[in-house]
Amino acid sequence: MRMSVEQPLWRALTGYRVLTMLYAVGLFATNYEEFDRPGIAIAYYVVLTVWTLATLPRVQSAAACTKRFLTVDLTVAITGIVLTPLAANDHHIQAGGTTLPSIWTAGSVLAFAIKGGWRWAAFASTPVAAANLIERGHPARDTVHNVILVWVASIAIGYVVEVARASERTLARALEIEAATRERERLARDIHDSVLQVLAMVQRRGSVLGGEAAELGRMAGEQEVALRTLVSGGLTPVSRISENAAEGAVVRAVDEETDDDGPVDLRALLAPYAAAKVSFAEPGTPVPLPPPAARELAAAVGAALDNVRRHAGEDARAWILVEDEPDEVIVTVRDDGPGIPEGRLAQAEGEGRLGVALSIRGRLRELGGSAEVISPPGQGTEVELKVPKVSRGKAGKR
Amino acid sequence: MSDKDPIKVMVVDDHPMWRDAVARDLAESGFEVVATASDGDQAVRRARAAGPDVLVLDLNLPVKPGVQVCKELVGHNPALRVLVLSASGEHADVLEAVKSGATGYLLKSASTEELLDAVRRTAVGDPVFTPGLAGLVLGEYRRLASDPAPAADPDRPKAPQLTERETEVLRLVAKGLSYKQIAERLVISHRTVQNHVQNTLGKLQLHNRVELVRYAIERGLDDE
Repeated sequence: MRMSVEQPLWRALTGYRVLTMLYAVGLFATNYEEFDRPGIAIAYYVVLTVWTLATLPRVQSAAACTKRFLTVDLTVAITGIVLTPLAANDHHIQAGGTTLPSIWTAGSVLAFAIKGGWRWAAFASTPVAAANLIERGHPARDTVHNVILVWVASIAIGYVVEVARASERTLARALEIEAATRERERLARDIHDSVLQVLAMVQRRGSVLGGEAAELGRMAGEQEVALRTLVSGGLTPVSRISENAAEGAVVRAVDEETDDDGPVDLRALLAPYAAAKVSFAEPGTPVPLPPPAARELAAAVGAALDNVRRHAGEDARAWILVEDEPDEVIVTVRDDGPGIPEGRLAQAEGEGRLGVALSIRGRLRELGGSAEVISPPGQGTEVELKVPKVSRGKAGKR
Repeated sequence: MSDKDPIKVMVVDDHPMWRDAVARDLAESGFEVVATASDGDQAVRRARAAGPDVLVLDLNLPVKPGVQVCKELVGHNPALRVLVLSASGEHADVLEAVKSGATGYLLKSASTEELLDAVRRTAVGDPVFTPGLAGLVLGEYRRLASDPAPAADPDRPKAPQLTERETEVLRLVAKGLSYKQIAERLVISHRTVQNHVQNTLGKLQLHNRVELVRYAIERGLDDE
């Protein structure tokens, strides 16, 4: 069961009512001689004791604490206050002696506060204030002081209860949203998996059947890659909403967009390049880079892939590998094209035939990185792009 | 394994169309399909009864996830080879499956020839890597190495590390080179390349087992 913010208040109120009842009776017993007509007082205390004990279940929760109970309860308190001058002698009254229910009255007002917030509290403390002034006969300083004290205290507690309730509702809502999101993600996983299976199957059967079916299969294959790249990294970032209600969780809307200055995940920028003939290998955790560096790097990868298509042909396959090293990010683009014959690399470079590669190199130099082109015989061409990480203190390093 | 003995394969997939297609392809190519299963529980029970050499396992299964099936079966019989055949290739699942004993991973978009070759290689203990898996494994080693906790806790096993050569081999796998091309490039034998790849998986699996045992002892569950 979740811990409610409100429940401890009701428990405290229950205790308060019983203790103050005993206190009021004790106070009467010790000041017995100040009462001219103790019969009235005794009769009142019998009623008060029976009422307090009989209504204990009423102050256990907001649901049990009905308006009718609150009204009768307040009437009992006010009756006690008004009866005081009839029971006690003038000396007791003029000396500022306590009323019959004494501080038990406050419990009645607090019940209003906990049940309905500060407005109810203000409403309930007003007749109590009036009754106190009537009891004293004139607005004495200490009476006014007490009246204001009850007023302020009950309104403050009523306000706290309202705030507590509001945050509890917000928390409940947040937990609900989180649960719904999790469920939606689970469903999405299943659906994606099924769709991917069907696409893969169409591709598989299509290539066997040949002809028009092969073309359908090829298209299914393209879509399969696109969808798989989208879902393989998980759908949404893990929500960080605390579930500890006892600690008063902070609830705020989860904003999917990162702010402009924050680092971006390079993988998200490169993933769209994956295709039927382009494999994308990445680490399982985000590769954060400042947005300008990430954009430049992604643009460089795009340029390298264009280069592959231009020089190695449409049928060439390509592989992208992203590595997140402690102090640099390395992205390699390899193809299985004819490559560049040994010794021709430097020459080609000199003749400006590696135009694209050179422009890539220029871009990376501006980021403080480098671009290498290698072409081992019979193994296609590799473009290795390196970007240093901006040192951010000791983060992630020892 | 002699040529007379066909490789015994079990196919686990909740989609009948896939299960049947894969089983049919395998049977036509001379494998013996000893069992099929459509959910996790069924897979565990039938695999124990049928005793296949190779388990072709989908990860997205009803009742019990594929990763759990892999854990239980490999834990029970370390000689069993598991080839994961997944549609979505979700990173966390794939890594978890590989750590808990799968030695091969293939996407469902792979061709029939690739699948048959992968089953053959898995059966003889060769790890079957896609470039994607190699990238994930490289990333996992990096993540384990940069995990800040281990220094503080002497009981915690040291994070596994790749040798320079292993890293080199794994990077080439991730860049799409075949084992043959890697052997040429590094001037080593084909067998050595396989060993290096196998080691990269072995260390992760060992680390995973040690971590599990440590966790169990910490929680007082070591009376399994």
